[in-house]
Amino acid sequence: MPSAVQRVLTALLLVAAVVGLEFSFEHIIPDAAWRQLALLAMVNVIAALSLNIINGMAGQFSIGHAGFLGIGAYTGAIVAGNLHQMLGGGDTPFERSFIVMPVVILSAGLVAAVFGFVVGLPSLRLRGDYLAIVTLGFAEIFRLVIGTADTGGGTEGAINQALASLGGQQGYAGPDGTGVPQYAGPFWIFGAVTVATLVAWRLKFSGWGRTLRALREDEIASAAVGVDPTRYKVTSFVLSAAGAGIAGGLMASLRDGNPTVQPEQFSFATSFDAITMVILGGSGSVSGAVLGGVLVTFTVKMIEQLQGLDSVQALKAVYPSLDLNALRMVIYASILVGLMILRPEGLLGEREIFRRKSRVKVTGAGPAQPVPARTEAEVKAERSEEGQAGGAEAGGAGAEGAGAEGAMAKGALPEGTAIEREEQPLGKDRS
Amino acid sequence: MSLELQHVTKRFGGLRAVGDVSFTVPERSIFGLIGPNGAGKTTVFNLITGVYKHDEGSIRFQGTDLGPLKPSQIARFGVARTFQNIRLFGQLTVLENALVACESQRRSGLVAALLRTPAFYRDEAAMTRRAMELLEVFNLDGVADEISTSLSYGDQRRLEIARAMMLEPKLLLLDEPAAGMNYGEAEGLKKQILWLRERFGLTVVLVEHNMQVVMSVCEHLHVLDHGETLAQGTPEVVRRHPRVLAAYLGEDVEEERGSADSAGAAGGGAAEEAS
Repeated sequence: MPSAVQRVLTALLLVAAVVGLEFSFEHIIPDAAWRQLALLAMVNVIAALSLNIINGMAGQFSIGHAGFLGIGAYTGAIVAGNLHQMLGGGDTPFERSFIVMPVVILSAGLVAAVFGFVVGLPSLRLRGDYLAIVTLGFAEIFRLVIGTADTGGGTEGAINQALASLGGQQGYAGPDGTGVPQYAGPFWIFGAVTVATLVAWRLKFSGWGRTLRALREDEIASAAVGVDPTRYKVTSFVLSAAGAGIAGGLMASLRDGNPTVQPEQFSFATSFDAITMVILGGSGSVSGAVLGGVLVTFTVKMIEQLQGLDSVQALKAVYPSLDLNALRMVIYASILVGLMILRPEGLLGEREIFRRKSRVKVTGAGPAQPVPARTEAEVKAERSEEGQAGGAEAGGAGAEGAGAEGAMAKGALPEGTAIEREEQPLGKDRS
Repeated sequence: MSLELQHVTKRFGGLRAVGDVSFTVPERSIFGLIGPNGAGKTTVFNLITGVYKHDEGSIRFQGTDLGPLKPSQIARFGVARTFQNIRLFGQLTVLENALVACESQRRSGLVAALLRTPAFYRDEAAMTRRAMELLEVFNLDGVADEISTSLSYGDQRRLEIARAMMLEPKLLLLDEPAAGMNYGEAEGLKKQILWLRERFGLTVVLVEHNMQVVMSVCEHLHVLDHGETLAQGTPEVVRRHPRVLAAYLGEDVEEERGSADSAGAAGGGAAEEAS
């Protein structure tokens, strides 16, 4: 366990680094297009990290992550646009982002989480392909509802009007149509990606993450050891959706980004990109999701850059019928296929890049005694011996008193396993 | 009385898998549930642990009706089980397998895990210590960091029991623990079951084909055939029961030899008869 000083120092260091990035980012990456790409890569990392909770850790298969991203993006855009107007509009200074961005992140995360809960409920009954179809359906419904809201009777009824005000296919560009204010600079983007990675890491390496992986391996066995599958599955959906919502909210207010939020940004292709990032990096791996998010974003961009090469342009001049955009997808797909052949489990599998072994070493226990090598009489004799020491062990499991250690030295468990269960927290289930 | 089944019936469509089965398992006894393949023994286990819901009758454990409870609640209530075909958490380590089983006893929640509060580390350390102690009892502490599916068959079986014991159960249901074991291993298992009962004050219900184990360990037997009760009583009584002999050895012995598994059971039964 790291000390409080260590923690505070690490936190301060990270904050300093993120603040430093905010002000030096334009010097580090002078080209605006690459700057935008770097920020977009970070947003994609958050999306991949959140999808990794469902698809990697929980072993469910969601192919509708774009739905959550979209809900977060629209929520974030609406909140940011209106808040910006209330604050007087105009520029988007860094100081003001401290009012706008927390609200954007919070609301985008919360609204997406609510939808995550609703979509998570069918996951209790559906598995594999069937669940995938539900998630896909959800994402498509979201995209089509927004995209078609202003056609037909767009002016009738409160819900219709509200939806139509989101701009339909043209997209939403703030309440006054001048574009969503772009408050999310490097500070917020890199800050969010740091926090998201930390959260995903801590989720995975906690009892919660362990139980989620157990559930993925065998649901019946999990239930047989007291794990409530319902709770864990729905929680994983809610957390994953909240993460995606935050990624969407950031995407909407991304500096140097697209100032309008359009439904087509959240098509099936977006869900598929997120899945690619997770699987490419290694399903279930946190560092894999980070790696996958960055790699996919930059690979796509690199292939785009290929189009600008003189040799490619010369080729295009010779064969005018050559569709460079289609060719780009062929190259992208070939890279993915190649990687999957070389590394079927993704770049990292379920492993992590930095993972120190930190297991609690057991010191109190004595040499092991194989269980069957006793007769009933021996055991009875031992039990009566322990009768005297038993009083000191009332603490039950994990007691560190001298009595407990004495018992452990004999290769026995602390008392209080079966008989004293009344005092244990489990007692509440009994009523 | 620890466990009490009254007129329990379970149907799968038109098939009556368990029909009107009643038995009571006394506190701290070792109770054997036997019968030919397909007799409904594992179905009874699944009914007790809530994997299936029974259509009729009642299942009570220490006076509480288990009917409306979910499998996870029944497990937390003190009913642990192992499975006929081992169900470990494959990609998890041996230690992690054991830790999952005490996750429901953790006091600190998800927020504590995210903030890595002292309570989180304290819980994690206490759980790990308890798991390691139990693994040591089952002689698995040396392989605590191995992926569970890499263990030998016998170790996997023992890990499953260890994992069940992490729940601190009052009732342990063992589904064919001796399956695939040779004579020596089965002898070891017998001692292990007796030891578990003594050490933890457990009640044990055993589904088993190995008559060497069943006849020497169990104090009470309940024989099922085609989901119906065939006989019950002490091993002495059951062993001489004409209907049991008929079900196991068959009117036509040759026919029964067809299935390898029941042939083994019949062989075991016959050996018991001869002695």
